[in-house]
Amino acid sequence: MPTACLATGYSMTPASTAAAPDTEDARAAAGGDRAAFQRLYRRHADRIHGAVLRLAGYDHARAEDLTQDAFVRAWQKLAEFRHESAFGTWLYRLAVNVALMDIRSRHADPVGFVDHESLPEHGDTPFCAAERDELERVIAKLPPRARAVLVLHDIEGWKHEDISRELDMAVGTSKAQLHRARALLRKLLGETA
Amino acid sequence: MNDFEWRRQLRELRQPHAPRRDLWAEIERSLDNTPIADATTTPASRTAWLFAAGLAAVTVLAIGLMRLSPAMAPPSADLATVPVWKPDDPRLAGAAVELTAAQYELRQAIQQSPNSTALQRLLDRTEQQESRLRQLGHDAS
Repeated sequence: MPTACLATGYSMTPASTAAAPDTEDARAAAGGDRAAFQRLYRRHADRIHGAVLRLAGYDHARAEDLTQDAFVRAWQKLAEFRHESAFGTWLYRLAVNVALMDIRSRHADPVGFVDHESLPEHGDTPFCAAERDELERVIAKLPPRARAVLVLHDIEGWKHEDISRELDMAVGTSKAQLHRARALLRKLLGETA
Repeated sequence: MNDFEWRRQLRELRQPHAPRRDLWAEIERSLDNTPIADATTTPASRTAWLFAAGLAAVTVLAIGLMRLSPAMAPPSADLATVPVWKPDDPRLAGAAVELTAAQYELRQAIQQSPNSTALQRLLDRTEQQESRLRQLGHDAS
């Protein structure tokens, strides 16, 4: 694997942004202070949009709608936020739920993987040469629920227990979905599993 | 590519993405029609319903105990004068009726079995619940 393909670092955590201003702004926003809520939006929009974008299969227009929806719901539910976790963590979870609800509302087939016959044959390009955009493009091709499991587990770092709860499936089903999603992804990327 | 490299590649995708346009203006417009849910009323009304459910359970238990006790004498005059609480809030009114009935029947039962600590405990608990429910009704108004 060429050096260019190696990761360049991984430091993003769900609540990595400043917690103290968040706490103050969250309290103020819960009291109706829109300027405080706007500050929360500015601090968290990119990270929230990133997670939603991945779950939405890199459909930018839909992801923007979902991000917007997530912030509106956050505003609505601010009074219920008990500050038991970081605001960023609470907001991230809420936004992921919004994205997953969207997947569910679209009646995504729980096991509706792409027909293997319709996949392209293995290409000549090895996986390590694939650019980040290529990987994102291929993830976008996965069926919604399979993509959700892959994104939540392999990218967002969730456990199968949490994924199964959110997606209303058995833990075993979540593991099976992940296994198949990975195989499908490798195939789409032209790599033998 | 081994699994380690594969997962590392995937984790690398976990990056912030700025929306292509600023979403704040649209979010702010939506906020006009989206009031913040009042977290103070919801748990209170939930508590009121929990009280009501608890009272129903106490009443059922009290009636069950009374049926196990010896035949009752007719109610005495002082039992008929149990103060009746009539809250304006219809959600509390049902619970108030249950409470009054439960207290009345418990006092009847205690007359029959004056040494029953279980009945006395039930009566005490019922009176405490009425007191707390009255407080809830007062806070809600």
